[in-house]
Amino acid sequence: MALKKLRKMLDEKEIGAVELTRRYLDKIEKTDKNVNSYITVCAESALESAKKAQELIDAGEAGAFTGLPISVKDNICTMGVKTTCASRMLEDFVPPYDATVIEKLKKDNFVMLGKTNMDEFAMGGSSQTSYFGGVKNPYDTSRVTGGSSGGAAASVAAGLCAAALGSDTGGSVRQPASFCGVTGLKPTYGAVSRWGLIAFASSLDQIGVIAESAEDTGYVLDGIYGYDANDATSSKKSYGNYTSLIGGDISKLKIGVPKEFFGDGLNDEVKTAVLRAVEYYKQLGCEIIDVSLPSLEYAVSAYYLISSAEAASNLSRFDGIKYGFRSGLGENFNDLIKNSRREGFGSEVKRRIMLGNYALCSGYYDAYYKNATRIRTQLRSEYAAIFDKCDVMLTPTAPTTAYKIGEQENDPVKMYLADIYTVTVNIAGLPAISTTCGYDSNGMPIGMSLIGRAFDEKTIIAVCDRFEKDFERKECAL
Amino acid sequence: MFNSDLTKHLAELSKIEFTDDELEQMTADMTNIIAIMDKVCEFDTSKPAYALDAVDYNDLRKDKHQSSYPTESITANAKNVKNNSFVVPKVV
Repeated sequence: MALKKLRKMLDEKEIGAVELTRRYLDKIEKTDKNVNSYITVCAESALESAKKAQELIDAGEAGAFTGLPISVKDNICTMGVKTTCASRMLEDFVPPYDATVIEKLKKDNFVMLGKTNMDEFAMGGSSQTSYFGGVKNPYDTSRVTGGSSGGAAASVAAGLCAAALGSDTGGSVRQPASFCGVTGLKPTYGAVSRWGLIAFASSLDQIGVIAESAEDTGYVLDGIYGYDANDATSSKKSYGNYTSLIGGDISKLKIGVPKEFFGDGLNDEVKTAVLRAVEYYKQLGCEIIDVSLPSLEYAVSAYYLISSAEAASNLSRFDGIKYGFRSGLGENFNDLIKNSRREGFGSEVKRRIMLGNYALCSGYYDAYYKNATRIRTQLRSEYAAIFDKCDVMLTPTAPTTAYKIGEQENDPVKMYLADIYTVTVNIAGLPAISTTCGYDSNGMPIGMSLIGRAFDEKTIIAVCDRFEKDFERKECAL
Repeated sequence: MFNSDLTKHLAELSKIEFTDDELEQMTADMTNIIAIMDKVCEFDTSKPAYALDAVDYNDLRKDKHQSSYPTESITANAKNVKNNSFVVPKVV
């Protein structure tokens, strides 16, 4: 249910915070065995938070998030609640502090229902690499949810929370939102503090929101954005009021459609649905402009080299000594670390670390890492040229809809290439939102993305909302 | 050309132990992955000036004294702790 509506129901005592939380917890207990969207369900603490929330509501002191039941991706640190990154390495890790986004929501006394499943260390696009088992798509449980925030997207789609916090390094909020028929917002790099987000690739990672609508993602972003002294990369350029343009006239906007996103490799049904959305905006009066991102062909390689290089460095902290999994093997210091990492990390994480060290090591650095950073600069300038001509850019979110579990996720090369439409946004640090624009012949959701200028989340949220208001969303079968 | 010697070298840099079978599989995986990464080598390097640091650090905080986390909470997740210290195998 829409967050604003829930807020009103709570404030007007149509439903109590405890009853609302209990409803969600009951549904999780009944349904989540079919989806596996949660790694940890915080039933007891959620009910305690709900009780406190009700006291605040009764006292007339409720904030925007008081009593709202929200799920949190399991790579966002939550004090006293296990934060596993879906890895054996952090199976028992209990953070001694809260991420800044959690601190902000706690100030309003939100209700954290639990921690959601994901690809291990957020490395993947299927949510099948989790140490705690893969996540299943609520629209068809024989299919993947996408990833890495697959648990977050599934928890929203299946009605197992009112909204979800996820993270997006190369499409990890938008692509699962697309596969699960919900809305996913990746804010501008720096708009939301990364303090307490377990690092994968620090120059690309961004905490995002998955919810039932663009308006809801803006509602949550208003609660979590802002500069944070604990994150040197967080920015003072965000001003909030992310839903303020909703309902306004968007007919004067210019929408760019990049030809490179509609070429070979794009599924026909996806192409048709996304072009139908382009036509929708044209009918509203928006000017549709053909634009070009010529360096898209280099984007996947550049993204994987940069992100893996940063991951190799970030994940070197997991040594089995200070925290995390510790092997019983290894008689000396070095062997203990090597065995702890062998047993603690899954295959995909090891591949990324190996690739990252390859990109950085002597003899390969210039050809791979340095060239990848050149491509990053080039992509940024190509985006700047596009946004000189238009206000938003419209693309497919993924080349296909959700595929069958086991069909693709064991082939790393296929998986990497499937990220083609999402990674440039992270490389350029821009905001983007994915929403459902159709369903394929199997009934699986098709996603389109709206990409905006840096720190202009307001516009893409309003443009996305306009489409959603006229689009008939189908609920999942669960 | 990717080969098992390079995999062993990267495994050492990565501090990950592999069995012989795992090394063989990793070599095969990396061969396929590097084939698509080679695309960046085709990029016209005369085009843009490369920027090593793509992130702006314009809002650095001022240094200020603040309390740290209690030692007990920092060591609480370690598997082997004694006298507020992490216990490791003998180094020398």
